[in-house]
Amino acid sequence: MARKAMLIDESKCTACRGCQVACKQWNELTGWEYSKTVNTGSYENPPRLTPQTWTRIKFTEYDSRQGFRWLFLKEGCMHCGEAACVDVCPTKALKKQADGRVTVEPDLCNGCGYCSQFCPFGIPKLEVASVITGQAKASKCTFCQDRTDNGLSPSCVKTCPAQALFWGDRDKMIAAGKKRVETLKTRGFAAVNLYGEEVVGGLGRLYVLIEKPETYGLPADPQYPAMAMMWQNVIQPLGKIAIGGTVLGTFVAWLIIRRNIKMEEVE
Amino acid sequence: MNGQGEEAGHIFQIRWIPKYTFVERLLHWIHTASFIPLVATGLVLYLDTLKPLAQGDAGQWMRLVHRLIAVLFIAEPLVYGILQPRRLWLHIKEFSFEKDDLGWLKNAFSYYVRGKHDAMPPQGRFNTGEKINGMAMIVTWILFVVSGLIMWFGKGLVSAELFRWMVVVHDLTTIAALCMFIVHFYLAVAHPLMWAALVSMRFGVTSATYAAEHHAKWYYGPKRAMELYEAKKRNDSH
Ligand code: SF4
Repeated sequence: MARKAMLIDESKCTACRGCQVACKQWNELTGWEYSKTVNTGSYENPPRLTPQTWTRIKFTEYDSRQGFRWLFLKEGCMHCGEAACVDVCPTKALKKQADGRVTVEPDLCNGCGYCSQFCPFGIPKLEVASVITGQAKASKCTFCQDRTDNGLSPSCVKTCPAQALFWGDRDKMIAAGKKRVETLKTRGFAAVNLYGEEVVGGLGRLYVLIEKPETYGLPADPQYPAMAMMWQNVIQPLGKIAIGGTVLGTFVAWLIIRRNIKMEEVE
Repeated sequence: MNGQGEEAGHIFQIRWIPKYTFVERLLHWIHTASFIPLVATGLVLYLDTLKPLAQGDAGQWMRLVHRLIAVLFIAEPLVYGILQPRRLWLHIKEFSFEKDDLGWLKNAFSYYVRGKHDAMPPQGRFNTGEKINGMAMIVTWILFVVSGLIMWFGKGLVSAELFRWMVVVHDLTTIAALCMFIVHFYLAVAHPLMWAALVSMRFGVTSATYAAEHHAKWYYGPKRAMELYEAKKRNDSH
């Protein structure tokens, strides 16, 4: 199946935050802890992703050569080609779908939170009922699985009035993104770039950025975590061999000693 | 093992001598009773066949039980150390290696696996293998507790990188401790030469003949044990 992707053209985003509302409405997410607006010294709201906020517009205030300006970034799960969250999930609640979407099945989640700690972008959030008992559920953007399963676009894409969001086959999105980058270059955006084509197995969320990724607070070169690789591909298989080998070894040792020892002589 | 037996026509009596105190045995069995369910509730995250137990509500229960028992696992040595710091220190000293331990290690395979009754260097109340087990238990306890507490309470407070390390450390420690446990269990329960070990851990006593052979340094004192060992070696080589 062709890999799907979302293309986000940050040169068009007006920070109306219609996507935030559409996401909450479609996925039935509550206002949660930010139901009361707090002044964080910025126009951005809410101040970060939460278990009930799967996407949000991040505001970066910065001094360009043309003077003060805002950069808008639509945050959310990148649907990585090599998704560490899926690899470390011990319950298979996180799944990589055939078309590349990384989905969450809340009924399977046991709240361990490994996904939240191994994601190179820090995306999955835990709704923690109690730190003591460890009762929790992880959640994140699923590209509106129930919509996209049925051939619709994610609700944020559907709603975006600035037409900054696109949904479709990943190669088409890449081609469109590259074309947009060229256009913007001719209009004088020197630093414009397409983010996510190659990193971490290729992201399912592609950005047209008008400044360098670091200026937006995105990692320039995000990496699949080395610890996840070590843990899943080295330690766990070797551990199984070590434990199995010990059981087998002691059994063989028992067979040998049983033949060599006469119990009557044992004191 | 009922204390009496008949051999070559005459009755012999096993002379029981005390080996482990009540508190030592209590600690041993609390440790056992916490370690086994901790491993069991941890393995559901590890083995694919147990995966259904890790998922959803069952998984939440596993994690809760793991934490409840962890409290016992953490508290047991701490309470002991607070109430009896001197005895805890003595244990650590008892578990420390001396140079005789090398000789034991060299002969251990032929003695414990092949069943050859060669002269083994005299041992204290804990032999080299038991010392290794004891030391491993102390080290793995520390690793379990530190990595476990950071994962339990530190999620989101410590850096993701540190958390990832703790997951890996907890895993590695489990693998090491489980392998040690399997060998320990085998020696205590199934190994024919070690019959007295389980008796000692249950009832606190051991047979004097067993102690003389397996724990000579403790039974006779270091000097006499060494003399007997040298004599036996001379005998064996003739
Ligand atoms: S961004 Fe994080 S949560 Fe999303 S697919 Fe990648 S690793 Fe998983």
